[in-house]
Amino acid sequence: MSQQVAHWLDNLLKEIEGIEVRRKSSRRVRVDVPADALPALLELLQGRAGYIHLSAISCVDWIDDGEFELVYHVWSYESHSLVSAHIRIAREPGVYLSVYDLYQPAAFFERDIHEMYGIHFEGSPNMEKFILTEWDGPPPMRKEFDSEAYINEHLSWQEYNPEWLQELVAEGGGVIIPPEEQRFSQKKK
Amino acid sequence: MVMSRLQKIPVVEEKKGNPLARVFDDLVRFCRSRSLFILHYCTGCGAIELPPAMTSRFDMERLGIQPMVSPRQADILLITGYVSIKTLKRVILTYEQMGSPKYVVGICSCTVNGGMYWQSYATAKKLDEYMPVDLYIAGCMPRPEAVISGLQKLMDRIKNGEADSWQDYYRNYDYYLGNQQKLFGEDWQTPTDIITEAKHYELMGEGTLGQHTRLLEQHQQPLEALEMRLGHKLKEPVE
Repeated sequence: MSQQVAHWLDNLLKEIEGIEVRRKSSRRVRVDVPADALPALLELLQGRAGYIHLSAISCVDWIDDGEFELVYHVWSYESHSLVSAHIRIAREPGVYLSVYDLYQPAAFFERDIHEMYGIHFEGSPNMEKFILTEWDGPPPMRKEFDSEAYINEHLSWQEYNPEWLQELVAEGGGVIIPPEEQRFSQKKK
Repeated sequence: MVMSRLQKIPVVEEKKGNPLARVFDDLVRFCRSRSLFILHYCTGCGAIELPPAMTSRFDMERLGIQPMVSPRQADILLITGYVSIKTLKRVILTYEQMGSPKYVVGICSCTVNGGMYWQSYATAKKLDEYMPVDLYIAGCMPRPEAVISGLQKLMDRIKNGEADSWQDYYRNYDYYLGNQQKLFGEDWQTPTDIITEAKHYELMGEGTLGQHTRLLEQHQQPLEALEMRLGHKLKEPVE
């Protein structure tokens, strides 16, 4: 059964030009599409192939390429298979179309990505803060955000070998891991 | 150096006069240490060690420690795990609502120094910057035995009258408020008026007032009591 569905899906995906289909397994397909072709692909998958469930939208920041990668995972309950559609958009200005009119759960994913990466989705119903309601810094998941520098500026550390710990060690307890062993950024190269 | 050594010499206060004068204090402290109600603010993963500690496997209640649902009736505030900055605001509000004497126990490495979230922009690292902590139980996560042995240590401290760090919040309020303002912004205000409470408990210290409390006074909204109404008019029945 799943072999037939896979064959049929591959034929379907050939209908759109300029996309690259890589079949990972009988139940899993990776599709790379140009950014402007994605809404058409999703409409096709949802309308003609039964991929009615948008599981997630994930985002990867490729800072060296100057691009964001957005991955739309759609699932079909009929053929029990997943299609992951990958697109790349320019990091600046970081604007893309919302797929809220096709998949309503996209509103949550887009709001989350907007908060964490600063990508603006045109046509999304709500671009307000989602989880980081009391955060006024830059979008924290972007690669240029230096989390360690931020916390060193705003928060302070406990002393690593305080007197009370030495008392505990003398009693036979306590484990000391110095920061240069624990923190990769402080490791001697 | 010499001073720090001198401070370590234990000072034994001679009990003068009536030998029974402190008996009542000792009795109160003993009773207090044997009936502790914990408000477990389950901020992180350490909370999962509390159900076995409370229930029949390890049975915390044999020590007189019970869970309590509301902050105003609780004695111990148990912070179990990482405290995100959003959560920290709620923790401080909860702490300030608790009646004195109150004790804070930080469980897990995260409350000590950020733990495995040391690099996270969203979690506070040192809990004792924002409220006085009586006891840390380190570990990731500490087993129920460790939790119970830590609480036993707290009981001993209460019995000996050493666990008085809640007074430190009143005596050094300026320090704690300064750290809170640094993190939450200068317009940070809690519904509890700590300075008035400190005056009421006669716990005004040198560190109660300072530059940070002056900043608070500048923008502080006056706290108004809620309107108390007894026997207010019910809706007239529809005819």
